[in-house]
Formats: sequence, C-alpha cells, structure tokens
Amino acid sequence: MRTLRILFAKELNATLTSPIGYTVAAVFLLVLGYTFSLTLFVTKVANLQYIFHQMYVLSILLVPVLTMRTFAEERRSETLELLLTTPVRELSVVLAKYAATLTLVIGIFALTLVYAVILDRYGEPDWGPIYAGYLALALHASLLVAVGLLMSSITESQVVAAALSIGAFLMLWFADSVSYLLPPPFDTFAINLSLIGHFKPMVSGSVFLSDIGYFVTASMLALFLTAWGLAQR
Amino acid sequence: MMISSIDAAPPDDAPARATDAPAISAVSVSKRYGSVTALDRLTLDIRCGEVFGLLGPNGSGKTTFMRLLAGYLLPSAGRLTVAGLDTVCDSLAVRRRIGYVPESAPLYRQMRVGEFLAFMARLRGLPERAVAAAVERVVDQLALGAVVDKPTRALSRGYRQRAALAQALIHDPDILILDEPTNGLDPRQIIEMRELIRSFAGRHTVLMSSHILSEVEKTSDRVAVLLNGRLLGVRAMADTPDLEGWFLSLT
Repeated sequence: MRTLRILFAKELNATLTSPIGYTVAAVFLLVLGYTFSLTLFVTKVANLQYIFHQMYVLSILLVPVLTMRTFAEERRSETLELLLTTPVRELSVVLAKYAATLTLVIGIFALTLVYAVILDRYGEPDWGPIYAGYLALALHASLLVAVGLLMSSITESQVVAAALSIGAFLMLWFADSVSYLLPPPFDTFAINLSLIGHFKPMVSGSVFLSDIGYFVTASMLALFLTAWGLAQR
Repeated sequence: MMISSIDAAPPDDAPARATDAPAISAVSVSKRYGSVTALDRLTLDIRCGEVFGLLGPNGSGKTTFMRLLAGYLLPSAGRLTVAGLDTVCDSLAVRRRIGYVPESAPLYRQMRVGEFLAFMARLRGLPERAVAAAVERVVDQLALGAVVDKPTRALSRGYRQRAALAQALIHDPDILILDEPTNGLDPRQIIEMRELIRSFAGRHTVLMSSHILSEVEKTSDRVAVLLNGRLLGVRAMADTPDLEGWFLSLT
C-alpha cells in the first residue's frame, strides 16, 4: 500500500506539473462553457443532458492526450526499466498511473459542477439525472483512462498511443452499429459492447447495475491486460 | 559482506543459504527473442565482494544478462540466482538486494536530484525515517552536493551517471549491476568513476559491463568475455597480464 501511495504521489505530481493537463482542462471548459451558455439561452430548460453528451464526446478526444504519456514516455526515456527493477509489482505501477490520471480527469469534470450550481440558482433542475449523469461520466472516465493506459503500455510513441486510444474509443462507441450485420448471439454481444448504449440511460436518470457493471468490468479488464503486458518481458 | 544490513529488506523473505554461495550464479541461462538468441546457455558464478567485468562488443549479450539479473527480463531457459534467490520465483526479493544502473542512466526529468533519490529510496522500501539520511549518505559518497537541488534534466552527463549510481546505492545493496558505467564520460570523469567502482570492492559485489578493454582491466578482479550471446572465457585479472591478447585470441 505504501508503494502504491509513493507511486501515486509521483504520478500526480508529474501530471500536475505538466502543461498538458492544464491545456486539456482549458480546451474542455472553453468548449463546454460555450455549449452551456448557448443551450441555456436557446432552450431555457434547466438540465445538463446536452452538457453530459458533449463531455462524453470531448473526453473521447481529450483523455488520450492525458494517457498517451503514462507508459510511452517512461518506455522512451527508459525510466520504465529503472522502475521495474525496483521491488514494485507491475500492478502497483499500473494502479498508480490509473488513479493519478483518473483524479485529473474527474477533477476537470468536477469543474463543470458550476453549471449545476447556476441552474440551481436560476431554475429548478431535476437533480436525479444530474447525479446519475455525473456517475456516468465518472465511470466513462474510468474506462477511457484504463484503455488509454493499455494503449500507452504497448508503444513508446505517445502519438501512436493517442491514435490507438482514440481508435479503440470510437470502436467501442459505435460497436452497436455492426450488430445489424451479425447473426445472433453476436449481434447482442455487439450491442452490449457499445459505450454509448450504457452511457445514455444513466444520463437520462436511469441507473442500471448492468451499465455500472459494464464500465467497471471493462476498466478492470483493461487494467489487468496492462499489468499482464508489462510482466511479459 | 553478502546480504549485509539492508533497511529495505524484510528479513523473513530470504531463504537460508550458505555464506560461501556465489553472489550471482547463472546455470545454462538463455534468452531468446523469437528466432534471435541474445544469450546462449550462459553458465557463470560471480563471487561475493569481487568486481567482475563483462567484456564484449555491442550486441554480445551483456545488457541482456544484466537485465535478466535485475529482473527486467525473464530467462527463456536456465536458472539464475542472485544472493541465493531465484530471479524468477523470488523476483521482488532479488530486486531488494541489488542496485542497478541501466546503460543510459535514466532519471525522472521532472524531479530534482534530491527528490529523485528520496523517491527511489522509498520505492526500494527504506522506512520514512531513514530516507533523509540515506539521501545524505549517497550525496556525500558521490559528491552530488552541488546539484542536489537541480532538476535532473539540467545535469551534465557525468553528474547524471553519478545520480544514477546514487539511486542504485541508496539502499546499500549487496550487489551492484552497472551497465557501461563510464559510457559518455570525459577522461577525468572516467578516472573518478573507475576509482569509485574500485572502492566498492569488498563491500559490494559489482558486476560491470564495458566494451572498452582498459576499463575492465583497471577496475575488475575477474573478467568474462561474451560474443554473440555466448561466454567465451573467464579469467582473473591477476592471471591475465595481456588482456588485449587474450581477448583477441578468443574473439
């Protein structure tokens, strides 16, 4: 546990001292601020569904920028060799990077709570879908970060890691589209693999255990594969 | 000297072993990458407290052997023990007992030297109360005082090499594994590094690699020659007045 804490502190420090995190946060908040103002003035409806959908799309594009350096940079600069020849388990290294990156992403998401506060100040929002929406975003972030780490762990090029992550996220997003071409039971499998299929109900306020299970299972699988891949040397 | 007091090492994870056991023992160790054999049935014993030199051209398998010892790579065949512990089955315990400096002397660029050494001390399991003293000890030992507050990215090659060596010494390991420790250093720095390595003899078992004959000649008690992943010979330096001639006769 102590090793995990030490590694987490190092990763969080690296994340917070890099300009990448601040740039991503700035772009994220700029685009969302614009959308929030626009939808609020046009629709005059006190809900955050549009914002949640936009956060879903933006995170698919921006999370890879945060995860791409995690392992690829360590591999390129050969510090991974240094790290993995100290008495630490591969899983601790993976979990520390996951926790630090997820903290940053959720921290950026948390800044959008100001929109909920504005809605509460000037309207009467339904809080159920807002709570459920933030839960969905947290789970979505967990999956994206875990898959992003997996992609970063298989290459020493940050650009390749980011491209692979975006590709994987888009495949997961549109996985249900391919179901029309598949025979049963593969069509059902493709539908259940879809990222948006598990995200949408929660944003509308319907929280199902199956949707939570999807995000948790997929995140754990990606983290396990990352640790397993690191151990295959 | 073998398995001296290491704050980091929990006493209960080391199986009982004879004190005269070799510090490092390789029995028919091979490492293959697909069809490429990087190390071919290497059998070698390295005694406690000696400075052992691995000599060979680039691509001869020196780095692969060191990575296997450090637990970074897993052998494809054979058995490798460090301080009596199997590098595969007791990987974490082995890593507690060694200090390893990779060839490129990698450091975390965003950290300051002192911060980096403290981080490595914690990772190697030193208790929090011992970290500051350990950092101070290696800073003194390697004359890093002038750069301890500098970011590692601002260090010269010589200081980088010393900082990398300092992290390997931070937990006072029994065994030091140094991959090309004089690589990229200027003549004065090479002499300093050589003296430093010699000063470890007796207190630490040192395995160092080089492709420069004179480096191995001036620092090692014994030397092994590797070529294309195969061990060609092992000699005590005291019995080898003409290292160059011996090397040429083997290769």
